[in-house]
Amino acid sequence: MTSAQVFLALIAGLFLAPLAVGVLTGVDRRVTARLQSRIGPPILQPFYDIAKLMGKEPMLANHWLAFCSMLYLAGAVTSVVLFFLQADLLLIFFVQAVGSVFLVIGAMTVPSPYSQIGAHRELLQIIAYEPLLILVIVGIFLATGSFKIEAVYAMEQPLLFKLPLLFLVLGIALTIKLRKSPFDISASHHAHQEIVRGVYTEYSGPYLAIVEIAHWFEIVLILCLLSLFWSTSIVGLVLLLGITYFVEILVDNTTSRMTWRWMLGTAWITGITFSLINLLWLYYG
Amino acid sequence: MPDTLLFILVVVPFIAALGLYALRNDSLRMVLVLATAVLLTGSSLALFSHETAAFSTTLLGLNPQPLIVLLDFVVLFIILAVGLSAKHRLIIYLAGAQIVLLAVFKLVSPAEATGQAMFLVDPLAKLMVFVVSVVGSVIVIHALPYMKNHEEHLHLTTSRQPQFFAVMVLFLGAMNGLVLTNDLGNFYFFFEVTTLCSFLLIRHDLTDEAKANSLRALWINSLGGLALLIGLLWISLDLGTVNIQQILAMTPEAAFLLLPIGLLCFAGLTKAAQLPFQSWLLGAMVAPTPTSALLHSATMVKAGVYLFLRFSPAYSGTFFSTTVALVGAFTFLAAAGLAISQSNGKKILAYSTVSNLGLIIACAGVGTPAAIAAGMFLIMFHAVTKALLFLCVGTIEQRIASRDIEDMRGLYAVMPVTALIAVLGALTMILPPFGMLLGKWMAIEASAHNILLVVILALGSAVTVLYWARWAGLFMTYPFKGRIYAESQPAMTRLPLFGLIAAAVLLSFYAPAIYNSLIYPTISTLPLAMVDAVPGTSWGILVMERGSFPVIPLFLVAALGLIAAIYFYKVAGKVKPTGPYLSGAQSPDNENEYIGPLRQSILPATSNYYLEKIFGESTINRWVNTTAMVLILLMLGGGL
Repeated sequence: MTSAQVFLALIAGLFLAPLAVGVLTGVDRRVTARLQSRIGPPILQPFYDIAKLMGKEPMLANHWLAFCSMLYLAGAVTSVVLFFLQADLLLIFFVQAVGSVFLVIGAMTVPSPYSQIGAHRELLQIIAYEPLLILVIVGIFLATGSFKIEAVYAMEQPLLFKLPLLFLVLGIALTIKLRKSPFDISASHHAHQEIVRGVYTEYSGPYLAIVEIAHWFEIVLILCLLSLFWSTSIVGLVLLLGITYFVEILVDNTTSRMTWRWMLGTAWITGITFSLINLLWLYYG
Repeated sequence: MPDTLLFILVVVPFIAALGLYALRNDSLRMVLVLATAVLLTGSSLALFSHETAAFSTTLLGLNPQPLIVLLDFVVLFIILAVGLSAKHRLIIYLAGAQIVLLAVFKLVSPAEATGQAMFLVDPLAKLMVFVVSVVGSVIVIHALPYMKNHEEHLHLTTSRQPQFFAVMVLFLGAMNGLVLTNDLGNFYFFFEVTTLCSFLLIRHDLTDEAKANSLRALWINSLGGLALLIGLLWISLDLGTVNIQQILAMTPEAAFLLLPIGLLCFAGLTKAAQLPFQSWLLGAMVAPTPTSALLHSATMVKAGVYLFLRFSPAYSGTFFSTTVALVGAFTFLAAAGLAISQSNGKKILAYSTVSNLGLIIACAGVGTPAAIAAGMFLIMFHAVTKALLFLCVGTIEQRIASRDIEDMRGLYAVMPVTALIAVLGALTMILPPFGMLLGKWMAIEASAHNILLVVILALGSAVTVLYWARWAGLFMTYPFKGRIYAESQPAMTRLPLFGLIAAAVLLSFYAPAIYNSLIYPTISTLPLAMVDAVPGTSWGILVMERGSFPVIPLFLVAALGLIAAIYFYKVAGKVKPTGPYLSGAQSPDNENEYIGPLRQSILPATSNYYLEKIFGESTINRWVNTTAMVLILLMLGGGL
């Protein structure tokens, strides 16, 4: 990479991508509202939300929440920047785990039952999706011969043709990461969440704004991973992302939240079976 | 000069042990322990300045071989006597069989083998000596105030510290001998000494439980010792040599020799407490905490994984090697799962040790240069961090009189310094840019071509994150109540903790340099069958054929993130404190309580998810032990 490319990658990773995801969440809310026969908020509502949270008086039940919210953001931002710099995929995955771990630790610092249970459920979500993400990355390695992202861009055919089942597995991980039903176990955007906002309960005001922004970065990373499956043309990439995200919204609105046992069982059994089959195709294909 | 260093590293601890046993004076004991610690640490560091593969035939002009033979029989007869006095049949049979076989071995073993190239100082040995001597010394120093408290708590009339410290120091000498020796016969001797030492240390408190658990440790490790001896006898009869380097040079051609190598690996599995032999290490936690710290980090279990790494060229590229990887990976996952279901802090640490050692064995089984490098990284970082965490739990236990992690909830408010060190220690186990994660990253990338293996590693890696993150968060769960003051501790308690956490962070930072000076020379010269490109470093970035890990750049980013987070934390100090969210039913008198039925104030309580129905010992022990046994049979069969 030349220094101009590095500069562009940093701009894209640090500013453009999270802004795009902010808009995407706005669209998501609007589409969801329409599916529920409501009009829904303006497209830019997520940005208004952040601005409003930033203006709130800061209040904390434990000062370490501030510390943890910052490191959650740092982990999420670093992983996205590493992606745009085309670093090692497995490394990027481990860096994003830093953010998730600090989100959980922050929630655990306050002895509120809501935040405690939310934190534990978040940990269960982590053990549900982490193996799946690692296996998707291993699949990309078996298809390209390298863990580096540049090897994916050197491919002549979209990865989707070689890794169809692993794409579905990534879909499971995406649903968990997006906090969509049926996997919105630890926190969700829906009003029916019985543990309030779970892992987010104790983050408030500006700190909640930071956590929301960090979550945008996390979504950027997962969408970037998805984009690798159609890396050969921009049109294909946009179509793939658009269709996948729309399916996510549909799934979110047509399923109800399940228990963590069901989530762990589904994610591990379905996800690992699909991964194994797809990896074996690659290995012997 | 290397002669003198070897003498200090191996023989001086034996002499110091005699001194410690004879001395009944507290301050003299302290001086002697500190002196030994300084000598060992200094010599292990001085060893780095010596070039690779310095052979020695004698120690300071003397041939210690006859003494070793004598001591070898002494150790076995002590074990036999223990078996007889406890009426433990299994130990009697195992010790008796070893005495007979050892006599046979001494009668038939090739004469030229003994005496030549007795010690080998190569980078792998240097790394191990560093781990044993430095981490071991720190643990022994931390034990000085710990054992004083321990005995005060037990109200002993006569102190049993002389025995305790004698065995601790002896253990270090035996481990140094084990990793430095190039004579498989002597390797067996040191192996048996560590078995005996661990037995004495586990038994130390002389409770019924301690006695029972020490006997279990003795028979399981004697089983390993017997397997090692049979393998040794077989190899010496077949190849006519017990020189480890010569054996490694010959074995790839002599494929039928995989079975005796398999027996050696079996001994390694018992010593490293791999499934289904984990019970002795879990039982060992009845001992005072310094014992656990020593067994888990610097000594004992590391002897088992060292054996796998040392002999990896002998089986690399075979079906046997693949099964070794599976055995290790399975233990990695199963022990991590078992750790989730535990609330006993020491037990979590024990399962985590078993699990991490499984990962190291998996690396040895994968057997590519990158995988061996990962194994060496993991040995070093695991030793430092696990020693730290055990010392933390020991320090905490003496304060709160419990080792249940539920009782450690909110420990930050009670002992903030120890709690923060423990949290940081737990995080260095699972997060980049720290060394353990670097090792795990290398291990997964190196084994990515083996689908079954990588699936198991992926699951195990996620499960590991759960139990560490949960514990780290739990230390910090406390209701806000104003300023918290640092606890006071004796210097010999606090300095080892600070030293180890500093080592865990600094060694991680210097990982590329350590790679260049210790690991690269090892893996680039090993006669491995599975050869991929040897990883290299540039600008603090570890570059493998398959990917790259920017260690130092990541450290810089992490430092920036940490500075920002600390700034945020400081600013938050001025923020208005509030109570936890309690659905708006907060009690007006105490913001941590809520108004419940009959207008009573109730303090809400939560506890961890332990997932007992999925990962509980009673649920899965039978299954995982059976599976592990089947895999080990597969492994030994793969040696045929």
